Amino acid sequence: MPVLQGDTVVGTLGSPIKKNKLSLKFFHKKETKRALDFSEPQPDEPKTAEPVEQETSCDQEVPGPSPCPPSPSFLLSQEKKESLVPFIGLNNLGNTCYLNSVLQVLYHCPGLREGIKKLYSLTKKEKPKDESEKAEETEEETVPPHIDLLCSFNSLITSVEELQSGFLLNPDGFTEADLATPPRKILTTLRQLNPMYEGYLQHDAQEVMQCILGYLHEACDALKKQQELETETKAKLEIKQEKPKASTEEDGQINGKRKSDTEAGNAKKKPKSVKSKGSDGEEEPSGSSIQTRSKRKSSSDAPIESVQCKTEEQETINTERSPDGENEGDKPAKETDVKRKKRARLGWLRPSKKQPSIFSKFRSVGRISSTTAKNQDKAETEDKAEESVDEKSKETTLENKCEDESTKTHAVLDLMEHLFQGQLVLRTRCLECESFTERREDFQDISVPVLDEQPTSPEDLSEISPDPKPELKTLNWAIGQFASVEHIFGEDKYFCETCHHYTEAERSLLFDKTPEVITIHLKRFSANALDLDLYAGLSKVNTPLQTPLTLCLDEWCTKRSAKGQNYELFAVVMHSGVTISSGHYTAFVRMSDLRDVKLWTPQDKDSEQTKGAGADEPKAEKKVKDEALDYDDGEVSISRPQRGSALAKTGVRRSQKEEWGFWAVRGVCLRVNLNKTKPHRRETRGGRL
Amino acid sequence: MATHHRQNAAGRRKVQVSYVIRDEVEKYNRNGVNALQLDPALNRLFTAGRDSIIRIWSVYQHKQDPYIASMEHHTDWVNDIVLCCNGKTLISASSDTTVKVWNAHKGFCMSTLRTHKDYVKALAYAKDKELVASAGLDRQIFLWDVNTLTALTASNNTVTTSSLSGNKDSIYSLAMNQMGTVIVSGSTEKVLRVWDPRTCAKLMKLKGHTDNVKSLLLNRDGTQCLSGSSDGTIRLWSLGQQRCIATYRVHDEGVWALQVNEAFTHVYSGGRDKKIYCTDLRNPDIRVLICEEKAPVLKMELDRSADPPPAIWVSTTKSSVNKWSLKGMHNFRSSGEYDNDCSTPLTPLCTQPEQVIKGGASIIQCHILNDKRHILTKDTNNNMLTITLDESDCFAAWVSAKDAGFSSSDGSDPKLNLGGLLLQALLEFWPRTRINPMDEEENEVNHVNGEQENRIQKGNGYFQVPPHTPVIFGEAGGRTLFRLLCRDSGGETESMLLNETVPQWVIDITVDKNMPKFNKIPFYLQPHSSSGAKTLKKDRLSASDMLQVRKVMEHVYEKIINLDNESQTTSSSTNDKPGEQEKEEDMAMLAEEKIELMCQDQVLDPNMDLRTVKHFIWKSGGDLTLHYRQKST
Repeated sequence: MPVLQGDTVVGTLGSPIKKNKLSLKFFHKKETKRALDFSEPQPDEPKTAEPVEQETSCDQEVPGPSPCPPSPSFLLSQEKKESLVPFIGLNNLGNTCYLNSVLQVLYHCPGLREGIKKLYSLTKKEKPKDESEKAEETEEETVPPHIDLLCSFNSLITSVEELQSGFLLNPDGFTEADLATPPRKILTTLRQLNPMYEGYLQHDAQEVMQCILGYLHEACDALKKQQELETETKAKLEIKQEKPKASTEEDGQINGKRKSDTEAGNAKKKPKSVKSKGSDGEEEPSGSSIQTRSKRKSSSDAPIESVQCKTEEQETINTERSPDGENEGDKPAKETDVKRKKRARLGWLRPSKKQPSIFSKFRSVGRISSTTAKNQDKAETEDKAEESVDEKSKETTLENKCEDESTKTHAVLDLMEHLFQGQLVLRTRCLECESFTERREDFQDISVPVLDEQPTSPEDLSEISPDPKPELKTLNWAIGQFASVEHIFGEDKYFCETCHHYTEAERSLLFDKTPEVITIHLKRFSANALDLDLYAGLSKVNTPLQTPLTLCLDEWCTKRSAKGQNYELFAVVMHSGVTISSGHYTAFVRMSDLRDVKLWTPQDKDSEQTKGAGADEPKAEKKVKDEALDYDDGEVSISRPQRGSALAKTGVRRSQKEEWGFWAVRGVCLRVNLNKTKPHRRETRGGRL
Repeated sequence: MATHHRQNAAGRRKVQVSYVIRDEVEKYNRNGVNALQLDPALNRLFTAGRDSIIRIWSVYQHKQDPYIASMEHHTDWVNDIVLCCNGKTLISASSDTTVKVWNAHKGFCMSTLRTHKDYVKALAYAKDKELVASAGLDRQIFLWDVNTLTALTASNNTVTTSSLSGNKDSIYSLAMNQMGTVIVSGSTEKVLRVWDPRTCAKLMKLKGHTDNVKSLLLNRDGTQCLSGSSDGTIRLWSLGQQRCIATYRVHDEGVWALQVNEAFTHVYSGGRDKKIYCTDLRNPDIRVLICEEKAPVLKMELDRSADPPPAIWVSTTKSSVNKWSLKGMHNFRSSGEYDNDCSTPLTPLCTQPEQVIKGGASIIQCHILNDKRHILTKDTNNNMLTITLDESDCFAAWVSAKDAGFSSSDGSDPKLNLGGLLLQALLEFWPRTRINPMDEEENEVNHVNGEQENRIQKGNGYFQVPPHTPVIFGEAGGRTLFRLLCRDSGGETESMLLNETVPQWVIDITVDKNMPKFNKIPFYLQPHSSSGAKTLKKDRLSASDMLQVRKVMEHVYEKIINLDNESQTTSSSTNDKPGEQEKEEDMAMLAEEKIELMCQDQVLDPNMDLRTVKHFIWKSGGDLTLHYRQKST
């Protein structure tokens, strides 16, 4: 259902540790309430309807058992709040909290959004080429369902981003209810793909996430195949392209300004598709111009359209196109374009909140707001810097386009694998000769226990009692359990090929390759039938598990890398409810600072480029997604302070820390900011940098 | 056979029968040597082999052939041995879960202790008290009074043991001090656990190692302990202070074997990295690389005939045992040129062993061929191969006598089951198998092996196994119940024990002479698409996998084609009757003339049998499908 009210919860629950650092915005939606109706009343106490204007209030800490003293930046200035990216909710479409919370997490997953847009642009580029002559309707039919999911997700991203920018431009024009979008299209697609999600039943968030990621992966694979096909027919296609180029060139020029507005950073991105291979710059506008047109339309219509059902897909597709028009479609334009662009950007920097022709990019918007706030000069200089970089890169791009494109396209197509897929090694070691054998397998997420499997003492079982036992389990402990050594002994010995004998052996799991984003699933259910087992002996485990904001996997890796397998928490999906079969999901997500966002974009691209070039240095900085499915009751908070505190801590801290992660990626230039708002954190960070 | 009686048959797990293909006298270790003991009085060396044989060797160098005797009774790896009572008694621990007591001078087994439930991995011996402790993967430690053990007889066969409990994991090493006041165990739990064997009281746990503890030593009075672990370290512990007082990182990999001099000042260590070092416990920088073996070191034994020890015996996972001289080290020591620089690789003190007890080849790899009759083994010369017959697949090999190369007197070609024949051969001296229950019902002729009926008096009538072949009855999963030599099964005790041990499925074959049922395979028969005939309803047929294609063709001709013709021509059934006799005879011929059978579009030779077709032509999983068509004339 609702959306990341996680934030809400966090705010209200109180952040035990460094509270204030980051203000989390709390938008309350009416839908929220409705959605919550179904099973548990308690978890939602914190959510009373608050108007957007009251956002400030969410920053307040709820007093909790906080080990750390309130930090100096306890009071957040108005400006600070302003600089947070507005939070866009997702409407509950009938028990879809499982989906909404996962979508929020995915939306905020570092690197995913950009990747999806690029992928989407690939799908779009194929289409016109292949089927431009055909009737538009046929196109719709030929879209395989998983590609369809990709499109739906992309349109969701678009809607959210549009809402964000819309709000930033005109905060007063939005009521809190407006700051949400229904994920209807993606739900429809999902239901098509997996009929399990028909109806209004409650579902497991982890399952739906695996599902979505799986389909996205399939979409990548399908696109990859398509690409291969395409290269074969490339020659033909190029001929075809000539025609549209001429006709659309004008449009391209006209739109150039707008494009440039949004895309200071994106200009660096090279066009992804093979289609744009014909290295002349003119060719590009042809594609983008179409897109820009539709974009214009989309900025106003998108929210509405996305509400429409699948039957109107044709239209929706058009609107969807807009975002990638910006992201992807924009390529190094001609010199004249560049100049215009510059001019345009400068104009952009002026704090004109009511620009009518604004694109739905909240990035650009972010720039606006931050400049208004007080970073104007800096922003400007940075922009200029960016621009020069742009130009440079543009030149090089033009030359190397062909190669880069293909490699980059490839990088994009490997997005899902790159982001989410790691590899585990199952290592079996004979205790006699101490030689081992290994078996490797890919993983998308790992499931770790929350409870000790064989409690050493009865106290462990009675941990439900309010006072937490001395040692709280930590996520590290849980991963340790997951990777823990299993002994093969007794009657079922292991036949060792070295000893030629049945011997005892131990089996352990190690990470051979770690993904950019690791998903950790907490097994908050136990099969032990101690309690009344209404649900096939499965009961929910409410034991707290401490989740650190940073996670180091080195201990469980096959090779200890010098860079270290460090992750930072960016999101938690939490289940509230007494039983495992019902309840409510909420998501906690690190909210990005607008300035972060603005800056993040170019950096992001840089890393993209390096990636494309084959270097994988961005790997050094990993983000964690910590998905705590089936987490404790949302009421975590109030009724049981300790547990609540642990949770709330995670939430708040995470958001701070997360930001941290981004800062770190971004590098030195931002230190200034850091100094102002969060001096002590910089130290930690500094060490890493 | 002492103490603990075997469980009665009711509670027993599935029993398997194994036998070993081997020479009558196996003079050489066939596999790695897990343990060594020197008898200084008689200058003998005992080796405990992974080939399940304990061998006695003369250590006189001048002797051409050092082999003295073998002590065979174990059926699995012998993991540890200790020599007690001044060399008169040897106690051995084996992966067959037993501990055996041997007369070391004469080399026979006096009794078998069956208290352990899993591999017995380690023994410890307190000389002053003639006390032995055994420990194993079942986490149990038992204490044995050697004098009681040696006094056991067939009638007086109970021993009281005390056991030390508390271990949470499989025990891999054990040590007791000479005075018998302290016992230490090392296990995969990674801690050392210490007891007082006099009271069986737990004394302490010592934590520090990060992996399995594979070797332990105690000094005479039990105040200090040395441990070697798979984590690659050697640790010195003070039991008084209950802590580790030194950690020696000498090896690159797991430390599996330790020896120490009498004064407890120099430790000799070996392990997975194949190197043997001597380290000064008081000054760990002072260490000497004695030698480098060719395989991971399993055990070492110091020659203590002089002090400092003049030599060390080393056994590895290879079958030969080497004696390395330590004399060079004394020069080394006196000259004071220790190699203190740990960064440069040490050069070994010895490059050639002083003496070698040659080992034989061991089987490196084996593969059972598809015919289930031949086993391919990889080694250099002859070998000791244990073959285990399990009820579930023992009878899978059917073969016609001609194919197997057995000639039969009357020229018939009976189907033989190799597993069945083998069991009969293995137990041919067991009196029960010689009583033929069929004698009374002479006329009953078993179709399956009618051929055999006449000659069944002894064995299987076709072949014999060498009488020295060991036959082993054991539970699936490793516990051995009874081991005897083929020729001994006629003996009175053995015969009685066999009555207890032999599982029913073996009795069915050997005593009751019921041949196992043929293996049936399911298959489908379909008209070939080219014949144009309608596809029939898919009936799943079943037949012996020995059935020849010829028979299937007959079946097709008789039951399908003819029926079709009949129905088409509506010929009267009376016409058919007189011809039936001839038909029977000619059926095969006719069938072969008229139709052909195909599988995967390949025409089948009528001499093939179904399992051959399935294996070599059908190849895929799922039920075999055969197509028939009438030959175009």
